[in-house]
Amino acid sequence: MYITSTGIFLPGPSIAVEEVENILGAVHGKPSSLRVQIQKANKIQTRHYAIDENQQTTHSNTEMAANAAEQCLDRAFIGREKVGMLAVASTQGDLPAPGMASMVQAELELPEIEILTTHGICSSSIMALKAAWNSMRLEEHEAALVVSSELASRLLKKQRYEAATTSTFATKRIDFSTEFLRWMLSDGAGALLLQNKPAPKGLSLRIDWIRAFSHAHALPTCMSVGSAGRTEDKRTWQDYNTYAEAEKDGALLLRQDVRLLENLMRMGVDGYLRLVEEGVSNPSKVDHFLCHYSSHHFRNKILELLDRAGVGIPEEKWWTNLYTRGNTGSASLFIMLDEFLRTDEVSIKEGESVLCFVPESGRFNTTYVHLTVVSQ
Amino acid sequence: MKNGEIKIETDMEHEIEVDEVSEGLNPHAQVCLQHLLRVWLGFERDLAKVPLLRRIDLGTYTAEDHQLFLLNIRQQVIEGSRWITRTASSFDRDHAEIRSTVISHAVDEHRDYEMLEKDFVASGGRLEDILNMERNIGSEALHGFLMHKSSQPNPIDLLGAMWIIEGLGEKMATSWAERIQELTGLGKDSTRFMTYHGHNDSEHMERFYATLDSVCTDEKAIRRIVKTAKVVARLYRLQLEELEQSGE
Repeated sequence: MYITSTGIFLPGPSIAVEEVENILGAVHGKPSSLRVQIQKANKIQTRHYAIDENQQTTHSNTEMAANAAEQCLDRAFIGREKVGMLAVASTQGDLPAPGMASMVQAELELPEIEILTTHGICSSSIMALKAAWNSMRLEEHEAALVVSSELASRLLKKQRYEAATTSTFATKRIDFSTEFLRWMLSDGAGALLLQNKPAPKGLSLRIDWIRAFSHAHALPTCMSVGSAGRTEDKRTWQDYNTYAEAEKDGALLLRQDVRLLENLMRMGVDGYLRLVEEGVSNPSKVDHFLCHYSSHHFRNKILELLDRAGVGIPEEKWWTNLYTRGNTGSASLFIMLDEFLRTDEVSIKEGESVLCFVPESGRFNTTYVHLTVVSQ
Repeated sequence: MKNGEIKIETDMEHEIEVDEVSEGLNPHAQVCLQHLLRVWLGFERDLAKVPLLRRIDLGTYTAEDHQLFLLNIRQQVIEGSRWITRTASSFDRDHAEIRSTVISHAVDEHRDYEMLEKDFVASGGRLEDILNMERNIGSEALHGFLMHKSSQPNPIDLLGAMWIIEGLGEKMATSWAERIQELTGLGKDSTRFMTYHGHNDSEHMERFYATLDSVCTDEKAIRRIVKTAKVVARLYRLQLEELEQSGE
């Protein structure tokens, strides 16, 4: 099975570091005291938002997904009637129900296809990709479309924080857990077309394997929406009498327990070593490494240990567009693959191997995709 | 949540000291290190499920928890110097180099438990309680295993034990000590044992890699070292799981 076409959609203009707060809005008119520090740490230079400077939505999540899918289909060498399956991933669709794939299908006007919506955070796109790939392997479809789209800014706009009057954000002097992702995430969509044969022209990516290891059984929740972020309070947003109360209490704010984040890197390395141990992955044969997190997040002793153990991936093989396209959660890898195939920054040759790594901090799901560059 | 979070930036900015990485391990030692890394990461993940340690992650760890932790860990720290010195004496003349390394390691650590006793008192515990504390079930099993292993001729597989125990020392210093102070309101004098271990860490690890490179030269050595690491990880976890059972 092959990835034969890709497409992306990045809403609105490219937003520079210092403009970000103009779009998301300064909470109670007061600039954030954490913004500069967090932006400096994540090193993202430009990003896109599907809301304007008045925090009004310019594109729905469904529209963004459909736009990326349209571009992907326009670039494909097959007609859209060949698409038998649509798999859609997002952290939060426009509607809590039905699944986002229904809405995207409607927007694309793809008739009578099989649909799948995957729910999760960053790794949900890999879940969708794997399910579509498996359906293709069962020869149920000739072609499948996998789309991932994120509209995080709606969760991050100032009004969300202003309404959370009894939340940890309102009561603490500094609430890192609710602000961390505010300066990290942004919006965008990516789409991949899977086919049972390579494209007649240009390069395709053969999917060799997709593996995933989740560690939710062992570790606490690290990134979430739906609770007030107090250990002793077990309520989730739907347990409050009204949604208004949940919002007031900060149960609808996006949270990241940054203290737990280092576990993500560790579990990522564990899965990587497991694949090496099982003989699935051969580090010396990896030509390109596409990682949802940028390498500086991993600048840590554990990478040093991987080098020492002879399985490190040299810095020059890492490639990412996180710094210019932003961290778009589950859509990141698809947006990365699209540009990777087009950029002049790297030369890609037939036969080269591409290892992709998408870790999800939500509750520590680590996913790996191995591709080989082919041409017909 | 005070300063802990501000630290994130400096963690992320941390640069690798590349010059330390360059000396290469032999291919068997490299494979052994790959396995050891996985044993460690599995151990660390399992520790996250131990109720008392999970409270560090969840932010509900108390001064009483800290006392209980120190109270239970002391016996193993005292016995630690015994198995290390016995290990040294079990190496024959063909392993003189390793013997020297192990002896110097033992010298570094054989009075560590005194620091731990002071930490216990600084955390609000009574000295006589920690002096009279018996080994818990896990400490018994761990101690028994390590004394047995260290009595074998040329016990190179104890490198697996050192890997786990040194790793935990580093984890205490880098991940737990400051967080415990923050959660409990206790002062620095309650976590000296934890932080002290961090200071010696890089030197110990360099010695560890040099020893691994010299003794891990075939498949059999890999298997022995990795298996011992697994047993020690399991028994160490048992010791920590038994923390809250002690005194019953």
